[in-house]
This record gives sequence, C-alpha cells and structure tokens, in this order.
Amino acid sequence: MFEIKHTLCPSCSVGCGINVILDDGVVVGTFPYKRHPVNEGKNCLNGRNSIKSIDECVESDASVLKDVVKKLESCENDKVTVVFSGNNSNEDLDSIKSFCESKGYQILSYADNLRKFDTSVSYDDIENASNVFVIGNILYENPLIGRRIVHAKENGAKIYVNDDLENSPTANIADEFSSKSVKEFLEINDANFDDESIILFNKVDSFEDLDLFESTNSKILPVYSKSNTKGALKLVEAISKENAVELLNDTEVLLVFNDDIVNYIDFDFKSISTVISFSPYKNDTTEISDFVVPIKSWLESDGSFTNSADLTQEFSSVYESSQNMGIDEIINKINGEME
Amino acid sequence: MSYVLAKSKDDAILEAGECGGAVTSIFKYLLDNGIVDGVLALRPEDDIYDGVPTLITDSQDLISTAGSYHCAPTMIGNIIQKYFSDKKIAVSVKPCDIRSIDELIKRHKIDPEKIYTVGLNCGGTVSPIVGRKMIDLFYDINPDDVVSEEIDKGQFIVELADGSEKGVKIHDLEQEGYGRRNNCQRCDVKIPRKANIACGNWGAEDGWTFIEINDDKGQELIDAAKKEGFIETKNPSEQSIEARSKVENIMIKMSKKVQNAKFGDAEAMDAWNRCIACYACRDICPICWCHENCELNKSYFKDDINIPPSPIAFQGVRLSHMSFSCIDCGQCDDVCPMDIPVSLIFDKLQKKYCDRTGYVAGVSDDIKPPLYSPDKVEL
Repeated sequence: MFEIKHTLCPSCSVGCGINVILDDGVVVGTFPYKRHPVNEGKNCLNGRNSIKSIDECVESDASVLKDVVKKLESCENDKVTVVFSGNNSNEDLDSIKSFCESKGYQILSYADNLRKFDTSVSYDDIENASNVFVIGNILYENPLIGRRIVHAKENGAKIYVNDDLENSPTANIADEFSSKSVKEFLEINDANFDDESIILFNKVDSFEDLDLFESTNSKILPVYSKSNTKGALKLVEAISKENAVELLNDTEVLLVFNDDIVNYIDFDFKSISTVISFSPYKNDTTEISDFVVPIKSWLESDGSFTNSADLTQEFSSVYESSQNMGIDEIINKINGEME
Repeated sequence: MSYVLAKSKDDAILEAGECGGAVTSIFKYLLDNGIVDGVLALRPEDDIYDGVPTLITDSQDLISTAGSYHCAPTMIGNIIQKYFSDKKIAVSVKPCDIRSIDELIKRHKIDPEKIYTVGLNCGGTVSPIVGRKMIDLFYDINPDDVVSEEIDKGQFIVELADGSEKGVKIHDLEQEGYGRRNNCQRCDVKIPRKANIACGNWGAEDGWTFIEINDDKGQELIDAAKKEGFIETKNPSEQSIEARSKVENIMIKMSKKVQNAKFGDAEAMDAWNRCIACYACRDICPICWCHENCELNKSYFKDDINIPPSPIAFQGVRLSHMSFSCIDCGQCDDVCPMDIPVSLIFDKLQKKYCDRTGYVAGVSDDIKPPLYSPDKVEL
C-alpha cells in the first residue's frame, strides 16, 4: 500500500518537515512537505538522504543488555559518562537525564562548541532584519535557514559574512565578506549591531567567543548541527570541547545514546575501558564500541524536537518495523535489572 | 473529442464533490467494478492546504478525496512511474500531471494501458504557505477557518464553515507577490486534453461537471459509468461550450502576457550563485526519470569542490537533456532550498524549442520529442 506520512527532518536543527513515502510499510522515498511552515517543501540533500540511514541498521540484539548492566554495576558511578545528544527527542532526553541523575553518572553535553543563549529569535526575524551577520557557510550547511538570509537580502538587509570560503553560496550573497577571527569580525562590526540586526552562526573559533555575542545588542541565533540540540540544552548546559575531552579522560564506561561522538571529538576512544552504544544505525562510534544495543530510529518513534528558533514540534512514527526498543524502554529495563 | 455535462447519482458525493461530483463517481465506478486496483488522488491530511497523494482502494474512502485543492501543488507523474508501474490505477490529473505522464509514456516508463486519467481543468495552484499568508493579509480571515477554496472568474475564493465566501482578484494578489505559483502564472495549458477525459466547472451549469471526452477510452468510461448508474449526463448547450472556451482563451492570453514579461529575466539570473548542488531540482523533475544513472553523477561532471557549481556544468547538462520536454510543472522551483526560479529558463527553452519544431511537451501528438525523432534532421 502506497502511503505518504509527515515527519520531521533529523539532519540538523532547522526543524524542517519532510514527507516519507512508504510502499507496503517499507520506506522507499521522500516527498516534499509543502504545508510545513519552516521549509515549505524544500529539503536539502542531507534531509532527503536522512531516510537512507535505515539501510545501515545495527545488527545486534538487545540480549547484550545483560552484559551492559554487568559493566555498569562493576564500575564506580562517577566514572560512567553519558553522551547527552541532540539527536534524541525531548522525551528521550528527559529519560536519559533522569537515568543519569538517579545513578550519579556524569553527563557529557556537547553542542558543536556552542551553548545555549537565553534569547528568543524566530526565522521571521532573519527575514525582517536590517543587517544580517553570518558566521559560517550557512547557505550550504543549513540551507533552509540560508534561504531566510536570501529573503532578508531581497527585503533590503545588508549581509555581512565571515567564513573561510570566499566563493561559497553564503559568500556570494554577502555585501561585505571577511575571513577574520570571530572576535575580530565582531569588533569591526561593533558599530553596525543594533536591535534590528541579527547574528547567525554555526561555528566559532573558541568557546570563549560565545560571551562576545551577548555583548552586542543584536539578536543571536546559533544554528546547531543536531535536530534537538536546543532541546538538550534546555535540560543540560553544554560544555566546551576541551572540557569534553577532560571528561572523557576521566571516564571508564562511556554510554552513547544515539550519537556518533567519535566523528566529531578528536579523542582516543580506545583508551576508555568500555564504550557502549545505543544506536539504530552503524556509525564510527558503534564501530569502536564494546557493546552495541539497537534502538528504534526516529522513523519508528513518537516524540518532539525543539529547533534552533526554539519551536518545539511533535512527530509520530511513520512505521513499526523492528522489534527494537525505544530509549525509554531500554532505560527502564536497565533500571529494572540493576535493582 | 466530444462534450458532456455529468453529475453524480450518489447524494453524499453530490454534496461533497465540486460541481456535481462526477469525478468522484467515475472513480467509484472504476473501483466498484474492479477495473482498477486503486485510485490515486489528493486527500487533505492536516487541513485543506495539505493535499497529499493517496491511494484509495475502497470506494467508501473516495469521499475524502472529493473537492478541489488549489493549495496542494503536487506532481503525480513520477509517483506513478516509480511506485505504480505494475498496478492498474485511475488518477486525477492537472494539465502538468498529464503532460508528465505523456512524456513518461513516450519514454516507456508508464504503460498507458494500465492507467485511467481523469483530467481536472486548472487555472493554477497556490503554494500552501503563500496561500495561508495571503488569506491572512488580504481576506482578513484566519486561514484555519477556511473550509474550502476555489478559483473562479478571476478570483481566488475562500469559503468559511458558515457558508459565507470571500474572493479577491488573482491579478491583485499576484501584483503583490502572492497568488498562483510563478510557473502556473506562465502556464498556457489549462485543459488536460491528453487525459482520457477533462473535467471542470468552466461553462458548466450549476451542479454539473463539464466533461471533455478526449479519446475512445474516455468515451467508454463515461458510457459505462452512466450505464451502471454512477452518473447521469446531458448534452451541454452551445452557450456552455462557448463560455468554457472563452474562459480557457482568457487564461491562455493572460499566461502569454506573463511569459512575455518574465522570460527576459531568465538569462540574467544571479540566483545561480546560490546553488548548493543539492540536486533537489533534478530529483523532483518528473521528466528526469533516470537520475540514478544521471550524467551529473559521473566523475567527469562531479564538481564537489566548486559549490556553487558552474551553471553550465550543472544546469547546462540538465537543460541539454530535457528542457525540450519541460512541462512547466514548477516542482523544481518549489523544492529549491535557495529559491532559484529554475523552471523559468527550462520553460523558456521549451517554448523556444516549440517555436522551432512545434513540439509542446506532453501535449503534442508526436511519438517522441523531435530531438529524438527522425524529424531532427530537418531542423
């Protein structure tokens, strides 16, 4: 039976809608979700490819949970670190946080070396800004926010771009382009910041740069790489890359819930005594893990993501295929075994 | 080709359907008699702005597809090609849908024997988010309160739950940057004459559907649906036929005007500088059916280090491969994350190609586009 179902794109924090095509219950493609207010049917390549991850499912069974429990019981609680990832829904993050707190485990919340900002900015604010300051190649990396910058330019905004790439799509729409440090970029534009301008960024040179943004009187919109980093940061504040590495150095058992930390933190993960991955898909982290527990993918789950603009959107499972458990179920099971 | 007025003999369908509910009843005839495995039609998912292609296999469910959805600019050709090649289906088609189906039939990607095509005359479609914004701005109505919409007599008309209606001239909406999608404003194929039948309210008496019967299969369909008691029919008056023709001609004239005004912008677009080479335009194109083996994926065209890609190396290849078959469905515009008006140049080239060859993509009766036919020698 041919079906088209709505869901959310999991590939970054913009919060785009995406339609999934099912043929006899099997995911076979995507279809533009034109009614979705964030992206109006437009999806980038990463978004459209997000369904391909189901071809790389973890081949394992949940029976390894008993071994996981043994490992956890044999380790000092403060030597257990849990990766608190924005790939998970708000509901799963609540479960993970409660689990960590009840056991006294360390939490590693890392957000691309960015952190939470207590400002509320909508995507319409980008389109209506007088000046838009962009750090990073946002048109290419987060196109459905990049599109709002294009609209801002069409509406008369002046676009300032700071990035390494001089010929990128983002650089091409800049009225002024520079390749300076973030600190210098903010300093030279100090006179142009006002409450009608907005600063968008998906990277910084260092965690300390983040304080500089708050000293401007512009609106601030960090664009995170994961679909629910904003939701994660509402629960646990992010740490810098240096602090993340320090925490990993002090870890004996690393629990990774639905994340590929090996892919973005430069660290010798083999130095950690035991790495346990809970993941629907194979990735670099599952490759080096001692135990891999399969979990439901976002396509099989209900939940909500909070996007970069602080909009929380619910999604429903589009199919029920695997016998895998959700994170909440797995945590309940571990708790039950450990009692 | 002949004309008939038709209406449903089912009271529930008559109530739910547009102008007589003939389309829904014809689908019901096909399903109830086991002539097709399913009916592919639009059904509102979250609201009337969210039309989603749905396969109906039980005629009881057809009622959920009744009505028109101008704020659901979908494309059905590539869905049939990808997912229904082994099934017998009936499908409702806008002119651009049937044009894509026709081009895919020419490419042996759809078997015409397996499908019944029920055309819907089309004055254009509106993007759902644009539609909601314009209802909020120009109608002073909460878009959530709208229960149905239609395009009639040059107006986009919305209806509320209490039965009241409000219309605004499409021309006025489009002057302000709202209204129909850009490709629809340019489109000069308003009646889907390559479908077995073409249905609509233009020229129709109240409560009746005006049907143009385009081929033998369409005639048999109407005759059988009538014989089996699903629809009743009568002949339209000369006045009706004339009125319908007048609507069509006015709309085509308006489209030509927009073409003349817009085609000049096609070459000078600096919007190509925004291209992120995401291939969304290619992947959604119903004519680009072979994208899994696309030349653009070959190493000699791969240009990953240059983003944006050279327009010649990227769109140039696509233009040379299929612009002569562009059906101006505008899906490439709709899905481009960078809002590049891709269809403008493809449509312009198709029209130029038509000027030289007479070939209108998805409309002309030629077996193949002339580039692929022996006729090309003479060009």
